[in-house]
Amino acid sequence: MGVAKTNVVNREKRAKIMAWVGREILPHEADVRAWLRRTLDPDDLEDVIQEAYCQIAGLKAVGHIRSGRAYFFTAARSIVLMRLRRARIVSIESVTEIENLNIVGDEPSPERIAAGRLELDRVRRLIEGLPDRCRRIFELRKIEGLPQREVAERLGVTEHIVENNVAKGLKLILQAIAEGEQSVETKMTRTERDERARNSTSDH
Amino acid sequence: MSERETAQAITDRAAAWVARMDREGHDPAVRAELKAWLAGDDRRRGAYFRAKAAWTMLDRASVLGAGGGPSGEVAAAGSARFPRRRLLWGGGAVAAALVLGVTGMDYLTAPDQRIQTAVGEIRRVPLSDGSLAAVNTQTSLDVTMKPEVRQIALEAGEAWFQVAKDRARPFVVEVGDVRVRAVGTAFSVRRTPGGVNVQVTEGVVEVWRVGDEDRIRRIAAGTRAFITPDEAIVPVVAANEEIDKALAWRTGELVFDGDTVADAVAEFNRYNVRKIEVADATLGARKMVGRFRTNEPDAFARAAATLLSARAVIGPDRIFLSRKTSAPATESK
Repeated sequence: MGVAKTNVVNREKRAKIMAWVGREILPHEADVRAWLRRTLDPDDLEDVIQEAYCQIAGLKAVGHIRSGRAYFFTAARSIVLMRLRRARIVSIESVTEIENLNIVGDEPSPERIAAGRLELDRVRRLIEGLPDRCRRIFELRKIEGLPQREVAERLGVTEHIVENNVAKGLKLILQAIAEGEQSVETKMTRTERDERARNSTSDH
Repeated sequence: MSERETAQAITDRAAAWVARMDREGHDPAVRAELKAWLAGDDRRRGAYFRAKAAWTMLDRASVLGAGGGPSGEVAAAGSARFPRRRLLWGGGAVAAALVLGVTGMDYLTAPDQRIQTAVGEIRRVPLSDGSLAAVNTQTSLDVTMKPEVRQIALEAGEAWFQVAKDRARPFVVEVGDVRVRAVGTAFSVRRTPGGVNVQVTEGVVEVWRVGDEDRIRRIAAGTRAFITPDEAIVPVVAANEEIDKALAWRTGELVFDGDTVADAVAEFNRYNVRKIEVADATLGARKMVGRFRTNEPDAFARAAATLLSARAVIGPDRIFLSRKTSAPATESK
């Protein structure tokens, strides 16, 4: 991966892009999904979301992007149109629907000031909404900043159990992000149930 | 691969991968395995990136730690004060003019630990090598422990480090192109728009700029250096008492001794969402003495008002300091 110095520089840049995605992209995922849901069936929708994130992952810079929200909508839209051309998914009327998309631009500025605070509230609620053991592990890992090994020691469980719970908790959090705001806790329980119904593979 | 992998299965695998990388991402074999998995499908790369971004976002929760110092109180005091028409987390100003050149796969090699603090938050964070970092308000730094070096990348803000002795593994703080290296010592580094401030409380550190390794400056305990982008030579200044005062934040305090009201207000505003405004320059230029909690701008405003016969209007979102005659007729407490 090149010399150490380059890695240091790249790491800073990567961290910045990653933080930007957390701030400017993830919060809008539920809205992008809601919009896609009007035209796509759930599996295709999921594909489009993943491809959009893949596109975002390839970004070499984010400084030129004025609104993450608008960027996300545009990315999703272009992927849908591309698939449409390949006649993979949608019906004709959805074309007009998609072409008519009005992308919502920047958020009003007074709310921007409070955004850091709100992001924190949101993160707190995401963690609080997790099932007990998951929550404890996320608290130790993310609030107290302990590495997984120390979390395992502290709780007297194997590292393997910690890792599994990190995966499980993260899945739940990703679902909460997909479903958007409102009551994260109730959504969590609901999506967990949905997931079990839809997907019989066990995560333990 | 005759059967197409479902999106849900990919999402779940991606979350499992993030969990695994968090535990053993330093292992090259595991990284190679991840790379192989990602190479299979664009959707996998997207799903992994998304899961990783969500996981990284949760680092914001570190603010919630009780820690030492007044962070808990500040965090609590700051909440529920904002109008929320709707809850959104986005919107923090995009760091302007990032000149980036990153390949899509770079995010695979993450730092060991990222420490971020919110406005008013002060955290003491033990590092895995036995060192201690006191991280001041609005700071973001990455910690990477390698066999040959302990790397701290300070992206924004200020931190003080008490470095555990390890001759074989220097402790290097990177701030833009400035490098600060210590073996076993204690020092603080603050990144400001105008330059990098390094203050040494124990031992000696070495400071240089990348590409200018011939001109390494040694900074000893009780001295400090301010490195600006345009000055070639790093000036070293004796500043014993000044350093103690400047680092009082480590115990959640701000100490002023002949500082102007304007400077004191600027300090308080670093730590608080509720900003203090000073009505006029004359008042701002007055000097004062005092010791305050970082999270009590109202106490400061009242003290300043009493001390300087000024008027403090303490509102829910801001604090207004003015001379007695020119106070605005708004809410008062």
